[in-house]
Amino acid sequence: MISLAGRDILHSWGKFALTGLGLGLLIGVTFTMAGVYRGMVDDAKVLLNNSGADLWVVQKDTLGPYAESSSIPDDVYRGIRGLSGVAQAANVTYLTMQVRKGNTDVRAMVVGFEPGQPGEPGYLVAGRRITRGHYEAVADVVTGFRVGDRIRIRRHDYTVVGLTRRMVSSGGDPMVFIPLKDAQEAQFLKDNDAIVNSRARTAENPALNRPGVPGLLDAINASQTSNHNVNAVLVRVAEGRSAEAVAQDIRRWKHLQAYTRGQMEDILIAKLIATASKQIGMFLVILMIVSAAIVAFIIYTMTLGKIREIAVLKLIGTHNITISSMILQQALGLGLIGFVVGKIAATLWGPLFPKYVLLLPEDAVRGFVIVMVVCVLASTLAIRAALKVDPATAIGG
Amino acid sequence: MKMPFSLPRQVWFVLTGIALVLAFGWVATQSGPFAPIKVTVTRVDRGNVAPALFGIGTVEARRAYLIGPTAAGRVGRVLVDVGDAVKAGQLLTEMDPVDLDKRVASAAAAATRGRSAVVTAQAQVTDARSRQALAASEAGRYVDLGKKNFVSQSVVDTKLQQQQSADAQLAAAESALASARQDVIRLDAEREAAQQQRSNIRLLAPVDGVVTSRDAEPGSTVIAGQAVLKLQEPGSLWVTVRLDQGRSAGLRAGLPADIVLRSRPGKVLTGKVMRVEPISDSVTEERIAQVAFDTLPPRVSSNEMADVTLHLPAASDVLILPNAALRHRGAEAGVWLRTDGKLRFVAVKTGAEGLDGKVQIIDGLKAGDEVVVYSEREFNDDSRIKVVDALSGDAR
Amino acid sequence: MDKGVGIRIEGLSKRYGKGDTAVDALKEVNMQVAPGEVVGLIGPSGSGKTTLLKCLGAVIEPTQGRMTLGGEAIYDNGWTISDLRVLRRDRIGFIFQAPYLIPFLDVTDNVALLPMLAGRPNGEARARAVDLLTALDVAHRAKAEISELSGGEQQRVSIARALANRPPVILADEPTAPLDSERALAVMRILDQMATQYQTAIIVVTHDDKIIPTFKRMYHIRDGHTYEEAGQGLSLQ
Repeated sequence: MISLAGRDILHSWGKFALTGLGLGLLIGVTFTMAGVYRGMVDDAKVLLNNSGADLWVVQKDTLGPYAESSSIPDDVYRGIRGLSGVAQAANVTYLTMQVRKGNTDVRAMVVGFEPGQPGEPGYLVAGRRITRGHYEAVADVVTGFRVGDRIRIRRHDYTVVGLTRRMVSSGGDPMVFIPLKDAQEAQFLKDNDAIVNSRARTAENPALNRPGVPGLLDAINASQTSNHNVNAVLVRVAEGRSAEAVAQDIRRWKHLQAYTRGQMEDILIAKLIATASKQIGMFLVILMIVSAAIVAFIIYTMTLGKIREIAVLKLIGTHNITISSMILQQALGLGLIGFVVGKIAATLWGPLFPKYVLLLPEDAVRGFVIVMVVCVLASTLAIRAALKVDPATAIGG
Repeated sequence: MKMPFSLPRQVWFVLTGIALVLAFGWVATQSGPFAPIKVTVTRVDRGNVAPALFGIGTVEARRAYLIGPTAAGRVGRVLVDVGDAVKAGQLLTEMDPVDLDKRVASAAAAATRGRSAVVTAQAQVTDARSRQALAASEAGRYVDLGKKNFVSQSVVDTKLQQQQSADAQLAAAESALASARQDVIRLDAEREAAQQQRSNIRLLAPVDGVVTSRDAEPGSTVIAGQAVLKLQEPGSLWVTVRLDQGRSAGLRAGLPADIVLRSRPGKVLTGKVMRVEPISDSVTEERIAQVAFDTLPPRVSSNEMADVTLHLPAASDVLILPNAALRHRGAEAGVWLRTDGKLRFVAVKTGAEGLDGKVQIIDGLKAGDEVVVYSEREFNDDSRIKVVDALSGDAR
Repeated sequence: MDKGVGIRIEGLSKRYGKGDTAVDALKEVNMQVAPGEVVGLIGPSGSGKTTLLKCLGAVIEPTQGRMTLGGEAIYDNGWTISDLRVLRRDRIGFIFQAPYLIPFLDVTDNVALLPMLAGRPNGEARARAVDLLTALDVAHRAKAEISELSGGEQQRVSIARALANRPPVILADEPTAPLDSERALAVMRILDQMATQYQTAIIVVTHDDKIIPTFKRMYHIRDGHTYEEAGQGLSLQ
């Protein structure tokens, strides 16, 4: 027995291929949307992994430092370092802001870190690590910066000395790493006009500007322009110790909260990405429905175009099952072409997206199964039409 | 549909199918989680490391002088302005004397009066002396007469008593004179005190210098200790450099320094560390050093920012690696060593680090070891890696 | 293969609808065709000939009567065969007004389809198809696409298809309607040849005056009734 479906496909291969291509692009978009979601989750995981930390110590009652803003004094880390089970503890600051290069600026998350401590990027793709205590930066390649570029963060110029990859915030903004003190200043100090205004305001306040106390005004201005806060302390737990146990110790301090990596993942993925994932989920459902509709329409049209042949086939003695399976095979064939084209397209155009698109093999397998199921369901419309054809219509007329 | 090719349709179909499958396979293995991680490697070499310390500095005056009154008062006149060069001893400002002139006059007058009182007392002493001399001689004569019984004893007693009284009066007059003299001393001292106070409100330049700030204008009231003018010695500017405590190993006096003023970014000035402050800043966790210019550049202002690089002695002919090769595994610092195509994490001990990123390896590796420098991602012992010449700077 | 009586129809009636709107398309039709015979079924449109053909082709169910095919009763006031489809596939060949060939199969496979559906291995089915095509003088087009054939060639291929499973009966519905007289006679010639060669009973429904004279025996049908008539039997050579 020959394959009727195969012969029909071969015969009108152009139409089939074009339809498969169109369907494939649609499926490619679906894969890409799923990849965007996976990319967002991966961004969150990568953010946590790349920090090199086992614990995040933040302001009490906040979900910080990524999901919520958190501010703690910068000498808290000394006490944490002294706890048993803590191998390393270091301050970090995070601030999402515009970083300027020449005439363009880039939205980036500026990270203040201490060299050799958690918070520093674990690996580079070019250049070197920061050796000076100020005014050097390591940037993620997504910023578009190259080694040697001069960039401006707030009030100072920095030289990009190294590049890394996949260092992004949970929102997908690339990271720029600068020494902690510079970051504290950038987070806190405002532009010159604001500083001058603030000085003038302080000078007009008679309680602060007392002639009987020389040096008071200067001291107040100095304290107003210095920042002794950081956003979090990152902790590396010693080998063999439980992160949760150390976290419990830290929580017993007042005004501090500590999260383990598992808890941070929950926070980022459940809270930060929740809305986006719902949106993407809805979008995926819509795309699936549209794909199903397209397959159903195409197969139905192709079947209707063969109504006369189907009547003849039924009349001369072809089994209903043979005819149905021909239609089903065509639908599955279309789905297969669409899937392959879609997967290749998604892989090829994924890197061009501004956000990270992660295509996982299990998503491809799941996608394949769904495409096949959708094709089966979509073909039922055409199969019903084929079954309803009365073979008697071939006679007469 | 008619195909313009000679091969039968089925063959084309099969070829397309194979091409698609191959494309699919390429896609699956070259990207996504199955793909090998690209890395670059380098060999541990021998070389030199030129370590240096880097810090932000502020230009400050070694010595700054606050010129101000020692008592609250009103500023009388200010004779110099910001930027003026002054000589030691030059009158800079004068406070409002208020009643000080009158007080000096009054003290002078009191001293003069005291002198007059001394003259009066002197005269009284002379007078008392003369009376005492007379009383003494009379008393002597009457004693003689008494002895010869020419006069009664009571007369003699009276004369003796007169003599005693005149003695006493003399003593009194002499002590009054002494006291008037002491009074003169006191009044003189008071007069000098008033004059010193008067001259205290004349503020003189303690050294040759330049006026850096004029903080009170004539007529304004200032309290004791408040500065009217600030002065600094022009040649005494140096840079107060703050260095991260963690990155200040080897800091000591005498280190050569390169100073780049923010106002002159292209020009590198040379200097030397004069002093390392014995007290560091525990809040900012910085050590403080004073760096002097070899030649003071002209027109440098105080509080200007500078970037200072201190050069430590170079370590020559040591094992070096680019610092990008240093990684962490847990809390351990080390590198990923590649032997026989397999990766292994080795802990290393590092020594000096140059500002160019070369770091000295003291322990853990030997010359010629191959080490991973750049990588696309984190990896571990059993990751598949692919060695390339350079990683592109592109995003994915 | 049963070489029995060919086709026999006795008292066949077909009523469409019920009650007042009922239409009797066939009224007590009797008919008989022997193996090897080519018989005409002639009538105007609306006479019920199409209905009769549909009953014979086992695509609609008569209301009452008896049909015998190759000696075996297939309808006796109710279908006596369980699988009508197999009946149509193996025992009845159809030739339609238009060739109705499957456009996505080539000529050989169009003809070989029915034997393949009947379970014959592909090689045997195709060999049989080539034999039939040779007999019908279109073997040189064996590998061609349907769209490349002329009308006459397509007609001959459809005849080959009808014969492919060696059915004892062939039902032809206006096979010469679109053809000119020369071609029409050529088709009749072929049918005659095939009937003799394979001992098939062939009923040709037609109202084409060009070929009516060629029938040796005819049935006229009007308003559901049939009556037999001897034909002119014009020679087809």
